Amino acid sequence: MFDPGLLIQSLPLLLAGLWNTVWLSAGGLLAGFVIGVGVCSLKLSERTVLRRLGGAYVSVFRGIPLLIQLLFIYYLLPRLGLDVPAWVAAMAGLALCCGAYLSEILRGGFLTLPPGQVEAARLLGLGGRDILVRIKLPQALRATLPALLNEVILLIKASSLISAVGLAELTRTAQNLAASTFLQLQFYLAAAVLYCVVNISLALLAGRLERRFEAGRA
Amino acid sequence: MKMMMAVGVLAMLSASVMAQADTLDDVKERGVLRVGTEMQFAPFDYLENGQQSGFNKAVFEEVGKALGVEVGFVDLPWASVLPGLEADKYDMVAGPLIITQERMERYRFTAPVAESSVALLTRASDDSIHAPSDIAGKVAGGGKASAQLAALESYVETLDEPVEIREYVDNNQAYADLAARRLDAVANSLPNIAYIAKQRPSLFKVVTPSFGPQSWFAYIGRGGDESASLIDAFNAALAEMREDGRLAQLQETWIGQAMDVPDHPVPAE
Amino acid sequence: MDFSVLTEHAGEIGSGFLMTLWTWIGGVALALAAGLVIAVIQLSAGPWIRGALRCYIEVIRATPFLVQLFLLYYGGPSFGLSLSPMAAGLIGLGLYGSVYFAEIFRTGFTSIPQGQIEAAQMLGLTSRQIVCRVQIPQMLVLILPALVNFTTILGKETPVLSIITVPELTFVLTGVGAETFAYVETLLALCVGYFILAELCSRLGQWLERRASLYLTQGVRTPRTLKPQETAA
Repeated sequence: MFDPGLLIQSLPLLLAGLWNTVWLSAGGLLAGFVIGVGVCSLKLSERTVLRRLGGAYVSVFRGIPLLIQLLFIYYLLPRLGLDVPAWVAAMAGLALCCGAYLSEILRGGFLTLPPGQVEAARLLGLGGRDILVRIKLPQALRATLPALLNEVILLIKASSLISAVGLAELTRTAQNLAASTFLQLQFYLAAAVLYCVVNISLALLAGRLERRFEAGRA
Repeated sequence: MKMMMAVGVLAMLSASVMAQADTLDDVKERGVLRVGTEMQFAPFDYLENGQQSGFNKAVFEEVGKALGVEVGFVDLPWASVLPGLEADKYDMVAGPLIITQERMERYRFTAPVAESSVALLTRASDDSIHAPSDIAGKVAGGGKASAQLAALESYVETLDEPVEIREYVDNNQAYADLAARRLDAVANSLPNIAYIAKQRPSLFKVVTPSFGPQSWFAYIGRGGDESASLIDAFNAALAEMREDGRLAQLQETWIGQAMDVPDHPVPAE
Repeated sequence: MDFSVLTEHAGEIGSGFLMTLWTWIGGVALALAAGLVIAVIQLSAGPWIRGALRCYIEVIRATPFLVQLFLLYYGGPSFGLSLSPMAAGLIGLGLYGSVYFAEIFRTGFTSIPQGQIEAAQMLGLTSRQIVCRVQIPQMLVLILPALVNFTTILGKETPVLSIITVPELTFVLTGVGAETFAYVETLLALCVGYFILAELCSRLGQWLERRASLYLTQGVRTPRTLKPQETAA
């Protein structure tokens, strides 16, 4: 069931898979964050049309499984004359989906802000964008940090689906190794350990941030 | 809305332009023959020391030489492989696939590269199965929507006792369930299960004779005229390999025995 | 495009849809219950138990559901635990979801000012009353969006069960697609199917959100005054 020699031999391949997982997720997260803030502003807008638009975005991209979104982008858009490379399809899929979830989390954070703060900032002469970037966003981020971390880790794991568009990320690499060597448990466990290394480091980092914020508040 | 319609019309126009292209010309211009496959189908495609290895790589290498192009493989989960071919993400699919009438109507097959008759894989420790008919009353598995599963289904109808058949999205999960005693047998093509039994003799064994119709493994290109010249060129290179014994040699190396294969696609009955 | 493929396989597709719905509901119920228990224990237990739970949460949270399900279903028999596909699927979803729900509940619990709990203690409320009457109702308002968010995420993990042969929607429709080559049609059907499920979930969430905030703004609901005809009966 286990063959340590083979595992060591396969390590470079697994690490290459992990690298694909990490950089594509990071790109998806950055783009997704921008989308998330935008959609969240739409949903909190005073105009009904914009609110509806934001709501529709969240419904569609939160409602349809990522795998199916990816297949759409990669296999159906070419039929409509829009051909994209695999990595663009993967990153776009992750960003669109992640944006929908982030917008909902941030909305929760914005709603907890006392309205008096925004009014005070306005009285002090701050513009709409300044209020968003300097007052609302930092506080919303702080208030929702655990949920945001959840989402980042979910994104990294969801990136295991991008193998559907032909990218060898960590899970796919482990599957291929398992199928080729019949050492199924070994390679799935190896993948689990590598995911743990990345995601638990992120969780530790977020924990430190959280404590720092707490200290700052006290 | 008008904008969207305009985009739609443009897209359809460009799609029809694309459809008239010739795949062989595209391949030669690019200098690369793109092949979609799944690296979980030993002995045809699998990883060895982290590198792609197997029969497909060897055959395409020879064909690539004959066509004067490089070969680039793309690894995908099997469920994505055929849709990707239709979306023009690559020019051919390796697999290989069993030639069937329905598939021939949809895709353009090369000449066969190997025999694909279906047999059973069982646990090495299982003394109750010596012939395929011994699975009567037991549980067997096969790949969902595969030609091998169809062969198993029609075979078990000839048995006295019913056989419970489980369908798997992924053959490797069926092998794992066989090892975990959730299944008593897995039906798949002889080259595949012979390879597995050879790799893990303590766990699995092959039960012969094979059953079901005579069937053949081959590669495919997109259906329609655009890929006709590519498949013809592939077949010409393959014919040469068949005649000078290179194909037989590759079969012996990777599948364990040389096989006589027809010179044109023959569907399983 | 030819959608007759879908009507021809309507029976299969319908049962796949119901299977998805049922595994989703079952998985979420298990995960919510386990998550609440974990969160409450975390807040009240000693450091050793807290540490052990922390490890459990971090490991489950850090690994993809596919990998966990695979280890549970195919690794289990090596340890004498041979589960049916359905049982493995439900337990897998429950374990996976429990840690996310636990984290969400924890965020909710810690967001309630300590002063309130002290005040409730002074008023003589038992700790169970404090949890049920003071903490849970307030935190629900804060965490409902996150709960709904994760419930839809868990719903979208159910296609993974197709790998261990649970005949849910993805299993059925990808099979139909492979048999009939109707990839586009089945892909669209998958979109619609999961979209309907997610919409149902978020509508339910919005309704709950309204109910919960109503409960809070009105404070503890004033006892309903009986109308004369009711007393007469």
